[in-house]
Amino acid sequence: MKTPELYFVDGALPETAAPEGDPQPWTRTRVVGKPLARIDGYERLSGAAVYPSDVVLPDMLYGAILRCPHAHAKVTRVDAGAAAKMPGVRAVITGATPAADLRWYYSRTVFTKLFDPLCRFAGEAVAAVAAETPQQAWDAVRAIVVEYDVLPFVVDEHKALEPGAAAVQGDDNRVGEPETYSRGDVAKGFAKADTVLEATYTTAAEIHTPMELHGCVASWDGPRLTIWESTQGVYPVQQRVAMLLGMPLANVRVIGRYMGGGFGSKLQADKYDLAAAVLAKLAARPVKLFLTREETFVCVGNRPPSTMRLKAGVKKDGTLTALEMSVLGTGGAYPAGGTSLVDWLVRDLYLCPNVRTEMTDVFINGGPSRAFRAPGHPQGAWALEQMMDALAAAIGMDPVELRRKNIPKVSQARGNQPYTTTGLDRCLAEGAAAFGWREAHRRPKGDGAVKRGVGMAAGLWIAGGGGPPSTIVVKLFADGSANLNMGASDLGTGTKTVMAMVVSEELGVPLEKIQIENADTGTTQYATASGGSKTVPTEAPAVRAAALAVKRQLFEIAGAELKVGAGALHIEGDEVVSASDPKVRRKIAELEGVQRRGLLIGVGTRGPNPEGKVVNPFVAQFCEVEVDTRTGEVRVLRFLSANDSGRVMDRLTYEGQVIGGITMGIGLGLTEQRVFDRQTGTMLNVNWHDYKIPTAMDVPAEIVSLPIDVPDDEANTAGAKGLGEPVTIPTAAAIANAVYDATGVRVTDAPISPMRLAPLLAAARRGGER
Amino acid sequence: MAHDHDDSDAEDPKGVSRRGFFTAVGAGAIGAATLAQAQPGAPTPAAPSDDPTKVTLLVNGRRRRLLVEPRWTLLFVLREKLGLTGTKVGCERGECGACTVLVDGVPCYACMTLALEAVGHEITTLEGLMRGEELGPVQQAFLIEDGLQCGYCTPGQVMAAEGLLRANPAPTLEEIRLGMSGNLCRCGAYAHIFKAVEKAAELKKAAGR
Amino acid sequence: MIPAFNYVRPASLAAACAKLASSGTHAHAGGTDLLGCLRDGVFAADTVVSLSGIPDLRGVRKNLDGGLLIGAMTTLAEVAADPAVAAGYAALAEGALSAASPQLRNQGTLGGNVCQRPRCWYYRGDFHCARKGGDKCYAVKGENQFHCVFGGNVCFYVHPSDAAPALVALGATVRVTGKDGSRSIPAAQFFVGPETDYTRETVLAPGELVTEIVLPPQPPGTRSTYRKIRARGSWDFALAGAAAVVTVAGGRVTRAKIVLSGAAPVPWRVPEAERAVTGQRLTPQVVRKAAAAAVKGAEPLAENGYKLELLRGAVEEALLRLA
Repeated sequence: MKTPELYFVDGALPETAAPEGDPQPWTRTRVVGKPLARIDGYERLSGAAVYPSDVVLPDMLYGAILRCPHAHAKVTRVDAGAAAKMPGVRAVITGATPAADLRWYYSRTVFTKLFDPLCRFAGEAVAAVAAETPQQAWDAVRAIVVEYDVLPFVVDEHKALEPGAAAVQGDDNRVGEPETYSRGDVAKGFAKADTVLEATYTTAAEIHTPMELHGCVASWDGPRLTIWESTQGVYPVQQRVAMLLGMPLANVRVIGRYMGGGFGSKLQADKYDLAAAVLAKLAARPVKLFLTREETFVCVGNRPPSTMRLKAGVKKDGTLTALEMSVLGTGGAYPAGGTSLVDWLVRDLYLCPNVRTEMTDVFINGGPSRAFRAPGHPQGAWALEQMMDALAAAIGMDPVELRRKNIPKVSQARGNQPYTTTGLDRCLAEGAAAFGWREAHRRPKGDGAVKRGVGMAAGLWIAGGGGPPSTIVVKLFADGSANLNMGASDLGTGTKTVMAMVVSEELGVPLEKIQIENADTGTTQYATASGGSKTVPTEAPAVRAAALAVKRQLFEIAGAELKVGAGALHIEGDEVVSASDPKVRRKIAELEGVQRRGLLIGVGTRGPNPEGKVVNPFVAQFCEVEVDTRTGEVRVLRFLSANDSGRVMDRLTYEGQVIGGITMGIGLGLTEQRVFDRQTGTMLNVNWHDYKIPTAMDVPAEIVSLPIDVPDDEANTAGAKGLGEPVTIPTAAAIANAVYDATGVRVTDAPISPMRLAPLLAAARRGGER
Repeated sequence: MAHDHDDSDAEDPKGVSRRGFFTAVGAGAIGAATLAQAQPGAPTPAAPSDDPTKVTLLVNGRRRRLLVEPRWTLLFVLREKLGLTGTKVGCERGECGACTVLVDGVPCYACMTLALEAVGHEITTLEGLMRGEELGPVQQAFLIEDGLQCGYCTPGQVMAAEGLLRANPAPTLEEIRLGMSGNLCRCGAYAHIFKAVEKAAELKKAAGR
Repeated sequence: MIPAFNYVRPASLAAACAKLASSGTHAHAGGTDLLGCLRDGVFAADTVVSLSGIPDLRGVRKNLDGGLLIGAMTTLAEVAADPAVAAGYAALAEGALSAASPQLRNQGTLGGNVCQRPRCWYYRGDFHCARKGGDKCYAVKGENQFHCVFGGNVCFYVHPSDAAPALVALGATVRVTGKDGSRSIPAAQFFVGPETDYTRETVLAPGELVTEIVLPPQPPGTRSTYRKIRARGSWDFALAGAAAVVTVAGGRVTRAKIVLSGAAPVPWRVPEAERAVTGQRLTPQVVRKAAAAAVKGAEPLAENGYKLELLRGAVEEALLRLA
């Protein structure tokens, strides 16, 4: 499967050595699974945490980028003469600046220049400035004179396929041949069905807009470059920057100890890294270059819009007989996975012998997409899970029962490889019970204009098993306190806390005695970017291995000093204790061998995943909504998410992921939508007023997290699977189903805003009156 | 920052240097703001200017003297000139709340506040809620209830909660929701944030403040 | 990033008006709209004239006639929380509370709210539209889902204020002061539609400032409310809304004023809807009739036909609240 491409854009993964034999699964845990507060909560709450955008270096300049205002244009002249002479301006770079004559890769074969004369979307970089203050930098950007040859554009993916459409990357606006998948025979499948339904579903393009802006601070010391970057992965940024600047990896240090959210949009380096590095070099001063909020809407990624035609056949008893889906999407002006994984749930969520999908990805003059929390899946769920609801209604079956009728034990789209664990059925059954589904589903919808309804939807996430590489170092100091060193970023998911809990579980060190060093290519170990819901299942086993490596040394030392075999020892609090005679014990801080060595170092690596098996997390969500049928306003009253993500590591941050994913799903379902101006091809809603992410008024206070807490011991030595993405996959579809339950109106186009729903409700009323 | 120094112990009672400065730039109206001595009608230069003005800001109980340009926002000054990076920058257009600070105890967006307009008012930032090295009650509550994820909107959330609780020490859930509705959280921690504010009200009550 | 400007903070109303009489000057009340406009380059300011040094522009006072006087620099939060406003002028309190976000309500003023510039994304964006001296309104053939269904002409924005419809419905008067003195303007005549002048939104002359809003006493039996419909629960301007003021005697409406928001470039009064309820009991049938009457004559653009449903819903629910 090609998913990981999205996450590992820089190609082949380095391999790490396998650990020295896997430890046994945890049977009982003391720390792991508890609801523990974040280990770095103090830093984040006191203001002590230095996020990359907080970095202020002595003598630092501020950078700004001039961007093309046209959807499609050729730069014919750039005159930065006046700008360069403005107060406070220390460096100006354009396409004509030799030091800025750099390539930028969108794929292995598709590249442009850093400041390319051909601008394929409104927001392409044209020039950059560094000045004493950001205000002066922007004054200078405004003073740069650029002449454009404005070209025809297309920003509608449907129109991009019409004859005579503006050419974005070449004569054919299709990004290669359509991607197809087929198993069984859908025609035969539909013939066997008692009911066949067909509908078209659409989702809008969404913008990530993490709270911390995208950007960096770049600083040179002679040949060495240090970049403080708000990123999900310091190593991918280092690799890309070093490659493009032709520098040794050792001379590019990327630091991103804290970061203010990414959701997939910060998995990679960006042009601003190169611009900042070049400006800093030319000015011989550090440069801080963070994008404005408006810029982050156009050039650092989006969730592609999708149009999905879905046909489904079902027997009266609820057996699915065939699924057929065609998808149109766009990743913008460059190859960026515009339909990536949209069909995955249709392929793999439910047992179905006959499946056919076809996905067409087209270029438009829009900003390139980037992976966005569970790429493709929430879109696919919007279609499939509404279709399942419609099928259930058509055959008079409860929607939960219909789904439970079609639970696969194997990944049908991957050659029927078995799942290590699949909790889908339990998510459905236990989720429904905890939510009170049966009663809620039967409840009257209300007599007045305000109707209540319930809806549910399910999902799985194609990845979420993690895997190599990862290398971790755990240091145990002579007093029994510890240092955990890992390359991975903590996006706010609680990665650092979970990893400290693993160390604590194995070594007995309380969390407050664990210090974490992470996300710095200069001082921490290699890690892939945090994304794909793979960070916990990737890093936790390596952390465990590193802690165990320390433990082995500790027990050897203690065994010698206590005259007990190393295999017969365990840790209780800050003491090493003999299993056979609890009176034989010694404080770690009092072990002479430890004192003599000063500290113990353990190195752990992530072992391979089980061969021939698939590790996926599963989810089912249930919600209740209230719809004002006069105005089309939808209020989400409550949500429940039943998740099989393997072992629960930190019950508190686990719940945080659930409420976060649901909140983001509410955005997809109810409020978020990129809007292009059809006349100019520029994006109109490039701010948080016009682009509407959910606020405190738009989410329910009651969001219940129900973990199906079954450790997946076959998957990895922590027993954990990913969580951050499955939690947002079924949300929007569940809301749409609840709106249908409340009103009898099925909204197939997201978002379900009053502007969309009110006319549909009015039409339904008129239909009812006739 | 060279211009900036904390002069809480070095207040110049005569204001000689500042008066001299205002004479030099002739910005009488701003002088009124700074010195609380009205000098209306003083001439102003016609062309837009980035000439800095010397002001005193009262931030977290400390007097901070520095030069600011008229267009500098309180947000920019706090973060880039005073080193108070607890206050975050999210949008610079009043649409996210990451820069929320208290102005005379009331939550405001620092990005929508000119530094010159903050003169004469008491500014409280996240750093100002600390009790020495200890987290204040609202901060503690956010930690306990995990009212955060990436933590970038968190300082603004905490300041909004602090302002809400100062005005309404025992808010209902709906009052909390409304009070926190000027702060976006893209990680979507709202449900935990509501709990955190409830917990903060308890902690504040228990602490008697 | 905001271009450079000069900043002055006059200590008197007269000094402020004198400053504001020259071109290139812009008043700064709460600053929440001004700074956004400057950032977006909607217009430039040579000089920003801060009003925060002028005494006596802030606060709610009882008027001699039993009505209220609200200083223009009173924040929206103060308006919303004022007991006298809530008791006698609920539509205004609800309108003020439904605007923007808590912080913006703490900063934004009532005067600034009624003087704010259009929120049209073409006007705010990088488009040289008619209102900015260009030759067309981009909304006509563009993305006009948030634009007007009434009163459009050359320019098709909707008035963004949630307070203004209430002020018009409550019969408020706007007091303004300029370098030549003061005048009072009924709120209904304060706002300028594009058919009159598509380059400005109010009747304010250069150098004139709103100083006070005068709310007249309401007849006994009067109740009011503001119903706002928006795409998102906070920050959002109205997709559609209705301020309704009715006076009821003996169970029947003797006087009604209904003013729409999100509908037109000015707060849009709908006399036909008012007539539909006058003399009637506020039954569901009567209310539905009034709602239907409220959108009569609407001329939706390509993408905003949905507003008719929303406006009907807003009027219906506003009136039902008062029943």
